[in-house]
Amino acid sequence: MEALAPYAEFGRVGFVNILAFRLRYFTGIITYSLNVTVYYFVWSAVYRSGQSFVGYNLSQMITYVSVGWIIRSFYWNTIDQEMAYEVIEGKIAMDLIKPVSVQWMWLCRAMGESAFRLGLLTLPTALVVGFAFPIQRPASREHFLLFLVGVLGSFFLMGAINFMIGTCAVPLKSILALIRAKQWLIELLSGLLIPMAFFPEKIQRVVAWLPFEHIAYTPLQIYLGKLDVAHALRALAIQWCWIVALLILAHVWWSRCLRSMTIQGG
Amino acid sequence: MSADPLIHVKDLSKHFRAFDRREGIWGSIQNLFVRDYHTVAAVDRIGFTIDRGEMVGYIGPNGAGKSTTIKMLTGILVPTSGEILINGFVPFRQRRQYVKTIGVVFGQRTQLWWDIAVIESFKLLRRIYDVSQRDFDERMERFNEILGIRDYLRTPVRKLSLGERMRCDLAAALLHNPPLLFLDEPTIGLDVVAKEHIRHFLRAVNREFRTTVLLTTHDLDDIEELCHRLMIIDHGRVLYDGPLDQLKERLLRTKQIKCVLKDRAQVAGISVFSRDGLVLDQVDPLTYRIRFDRTKVATTDLIRKILAAVEVRDLLIEDESIEEVVKRIYAGEATFEVSL
Repeated sequence: MEALAPYAEFGRVGFVNILAFRLRYFTGIITYSLNVTVYYFVWSAVYRSGQSFVGYNLSQMITYVSVGWIIRSFYWNTIDQEMAYEVIEGKIAMDLIKPVSVQWMWLCRAMGESAFRLGLLTLPTALVVGFAFPIQRPASREHFLLFLVGVLGSFFLMGAINFMIGTCAVPLKSILALIRAKQWLIELLSGLLIPMAFFPEKIQRVVAWLPFEHIAYTPLQIYLGKLDVAHALRALAIQWCWIVALLILAHVWWSRCLRSMTIQGG
Repeated sequence: MSADPLIHVKDLSKHFRAFDRREGIWGSIQNLFVRDYHTVAAVDRIGFTIDRGEMVGYIGPNGAGKSTTIKMLTGILVPTSGEILINGFVPFRQRRQYVKTIGVVFGQRTQLWWDIAVIESFKLLRRIYDVSQRDFDERMERFNEILGIRDYLRTPVRKLSLGERMRCDLAAALLHNPPLLFLDEPTIGLDVVAKEHIRHFLRAVNREFRTTVLLTTHDLDDIEELCHRLMIIDHGRVLYDGPLDQLKERLLRTKQIKCVLKDRAQVAGISVFSRDGLVLDQVDPLTYRIRFDRTKVATTDLIRKILAAVEVRDLLIEDESIEEVVKRIYAGEATFEVSL
C-alpha cells in the first residue's frame, strides 16, 4: 500500500491543480447541456417519421444521447495534449527524474481531475439535463451498478489511449493533427454520436473487434437494459480485458519511444 | 583516486539525428517525402570517474554536450554507446530505483508544480521519495536556515522570482538527502546575492552530508568558489579534467603588475619596461600596467628591477582571469593533453 501513496498524491495534485481553473467548469456545464439540447432536437425531428429505429424508440434515444454526454464529462481527459506540451517544452525531463512510473503518474493525475469533474461538471450537468429532458431511469439497480463499473472502465480506456497518443509526441514532436483525428474517431466509433446498432452490419462486425465501443456504447447499453445482467457482465469482462491489454501496450510503446527521446531546449 | 568511485563513465557517446531541411517552397514539398539527415555526436566517447564527496565543475561553451551528459547521467536520455555506472546503478536501465538516490536541478526548469503552493509540492515530493515526517521537518528547518525560503512556501511557484524559485528547487532536490546532486546551470540568470546564497548552501550541503556535486555552469566564479576539480568539454570531448589550480598553473600565461608611481618624476624611469617581452600601458597619469608572459619573465626579478628603477606608492600583481584562460581554450588556442 505504501508504494501507492505517491500516486494518490498525484491524484490530489491533479485535483488541486484544477481548482485554479474552476471557472472553466461553469462554462463546461453549459457546453455539455447545449450538446444534449442539439441532439434532442435532431432526434425528435428524426423520430417524427417513425416510432422506432433498430430497436430504439425516441425516449430511449434521448436517454442514450443525454447519458452518453453526461458520462463523457467524467471519463474525458486531455493527457495526450498535456504530454505533447511537456515534450515540446522539454518538461518531460522533470517527470523522468522522479522515481515513479510515468504512465501511472499521468493516469493518477487524470483520475484526480476526473474526480473533480464528477463533482463540478458531471453531476451538475446531470441535474440540468435531467430537469430539462425526459430521461429514462436505469433499467434496474443491478444494471445501474454495472453501468458505473463500465463508466470507470471508460475512464481507463480513454486514459490508456490518450497516453499512447501523447507518447507519440516523443518521436513526432507535433501531434496536434493526431489528437484531432483521434477525437473524431473516438466520437464516432465509441458510439457517443449514434449507437453502434445504427452502423451497417459489416462495419459493426469490424468495430466489435476494436476497443472503442467499450468507451460509450457498452455502458450505455447496460444503462438502457439492452443487455441482460449475464450479457452485461460478459461485455464488462471484455471491456476490462481491453483495459489491461491497452495499458500494457501503452507501457511497451512508452518504453520504446523513451529510447529515442531528445529533450528540447537546454 | 579510490578503488570505488561513485560515478564511473566509460566511452560514453550520444548521437542525435539532425534533419537537413531543404530551403524554399519546392524544398519544403520535397521535405515531406524525402528526409535527409546526418548524425551529430553531442557526446563523443567521454570517460571519467568521480569520488564520493567531490564537487566537480563541468564547463564548456553552448552546445558542447554538457546538458546531454547530465541528462544521460540522470537517466533521462539513453546513451548511444558506452557505460555509466553510478552508485551501483545503470541509470537508464534502473531509472526508478536510481533516481531515488540522486537530486537534480535544471536551472532552466523547475520540478515544482507550477500552479500549486511550494509547500504542496514539497509534501508531494515527501510522499514520492518516502521521507519520514520527522526527517522532512528537520530538513525543511535546516534548508530554511540557509536558504530563507519560509516566507514564500505558501506562494504558487509561478509567482516566485527566479532567485526564490531556484532556492525552492534546490531544497526540493535535496529533500530525500541523496548522496549525489546534479546541477545544470544552477546560477543562470541570478543576481549576485542569490548566487552567493546558492553557493553557500551547496558548500554547506557538501560539508554536512558529504553530498557529491556535479554542476555545469557558464559562471566561472561558481567553479572558483565551489569546485576543486574542473572538467572542460567541447564538441563532445573532454579537453581537460583536473584540479582548477593545475589548470591555472599550466595555462595562465599572462601576468600583470600595476604600479602606482610616487610622483611624475618617476615616469621616465618606468618607460624602460616596455622592452624584452614586456608591454607597458598607462592607466592614468601615475598608474602604469606592465604585462608579461610569466613563462618567459620571472615575476620576482621583474619586481626587483621595478623597485630599483622607480619609487612606487603601490604595487599590485594580478593573474590573468580564469575567464581569459577558458576563452582561449574554447577558441582552440590553448591545447593540452587530457589528464586523468
